[in-house]
Amino acid sequence: MKTVATFTVNGLPHEIAVEPHQLLIEVLREHLGLTGTKHSCGVGNCGACTVLVDGTPELACLTLAMEVRDKSVLTIEGLAKEGLLHPLQQAFVDYGAIQCGYCTPGMILTGKALLDDNPDPTEHEVREALAGNICRCTGYVKIVEAVLAAAEVMRKGGN
Amino acid sequence: MFRLLRPFEYLEPSCVAEAVEMLVRYGEKARIFAGGTDLVISMKKRQIVPDYLIAIGHLSELDFIEAEPNGTLRLGPLATHARLAASPLVWQRFPMLATACNEVGTPQVRNMGTIGGNVCKAGPSQDTPPVLVSLEAKLHLVGPSGKRTVPMDQFCTGPFCTVLAQDELVVEIEIPPLPPRSAGCYKWITKITATDETLAGAGVVVVLKEDGSFEDVRIGLGSVAPMAIRARRAESLLRGTWPEAAQIAEAAQIASEEAEPRSRAAYRRRMVQVLVNEGVTEMQRQIAASMQEAGR
Repeated sequence: MKTVATFTVNGLPHEIAVEPHQLLIEVLREHLGLTGTKHSCGVGNCGACTVLVDGTPELACLTLAMEVRDKSVLTIEGLAKEGLLHPLQQAFVDYGAIQCGYCTPGMILTGKALLDDNPDPTEHEVREALAGNICRCTGYVKIVEAVLAAAEVMRKGGN
Repeated sequence: MFRLLRPFEYLEPSCVAEAVEMLVRYGEKARIFAGGTDLVISMKKRQIVPDYLIAIGHLSELDFIEAEPNGTLRLGPLATHARLAASPLVWQRFPMLATACNEVGTPQVRNMGTIGGNVCKAGPSQDTPPVLVSLEAKLHLVGPSGKRTVPMDQFCTGPFCTVLAQDELVVEIEIPPLPPRSAGCYKWITKITATDETLAGAGVVVVLKEDGSFEDVRIGLGSVAPMAIRARRAESLLRGTWPEAAQIAEAAQIASEEAEPRSRAAYRRRMVQVLVNEGVTEMQRQIAASMQEAGR
């Protein structure tokens, strides 16, 4: 049976009729057209579908849409402000931390949750935080460099 | 292409009693749903196809981390691994549990998955059971005929099997306090995969007497048997003695013989030996050092 529920995604409330068996990733991609959230392994290993639920990295492919009613969901589409990239997005571009791009939304959102919680992480802390996001292209070095660079920009008050 | 879920009815009980009523009413057709990190995968693979999901994630009566003045720690089954790993209450009293919780899955899985779900899954390679077994944790269960308490080492009956009845719910994990002059640790080694599944894990608790002898030692082994087990023969070799390196090594050897690994048996046994030896030795030194410190 469909339930009409309010979902707050990227700061905006959406009233959507969902079936209880629908996953958050289905609602984001199919109902809201937010295809920045990627589907990959489907079993919680790769982190490509990571979104922030009340600021915490969670997996949209293992979350029922029903679970996030009354919670705030942030996807990659919610990061840029007025056409200006978030420092993490800009750093990923500047440091060549994107190759095929499939892991990038999850990487950036996990990185954002880390920097919101710990504005000055060590390289080790960045690697630990990103341990649930798999990249098959970059070898991770540039991703870690990008997160550390973005941290510095954000500490200096950028965005 | 997404792996989609088959339709089911989503039930939201308002309290534990109502959740139990639903379990009684819908029997095998119902499943308790909390963090979802395991159940959703099983549902995608059609290993479990429930007609009813009883969602308990919103029940605050199941979501707590509390310490009593006597040192007992009470965990609600909905406490996530991430919250337990970051909890000062857990770190102060049972750092080995925080270590094990931090070893579960990936950061995202730790943010979502609950300790109650981890315990009820009863997977042989999980990190929290060997620690909970060595801490002599107790599980509080509620069913239609009331409450009962089951010691952690009697909860699992085999891989993915527990004594939890179909109409019962875990409502609390109770960890009794450790006596003075005690310390515990979790030692583990992993496979090298996306999620670094644990290959062998050992929860070790050591309690010394004032004279430095072993008043108690408890060794919980994970990933090396159908379920987390106590290495009781190894423990009894050390209890009541003043073990030196050779005797601890012998106990570690015995612990490795108590393990019953299915695959990569020789390697896992060897690793049990290493982990138990390290764990017991380090805890003995740590307690002795803090006794010396206190004596000054």
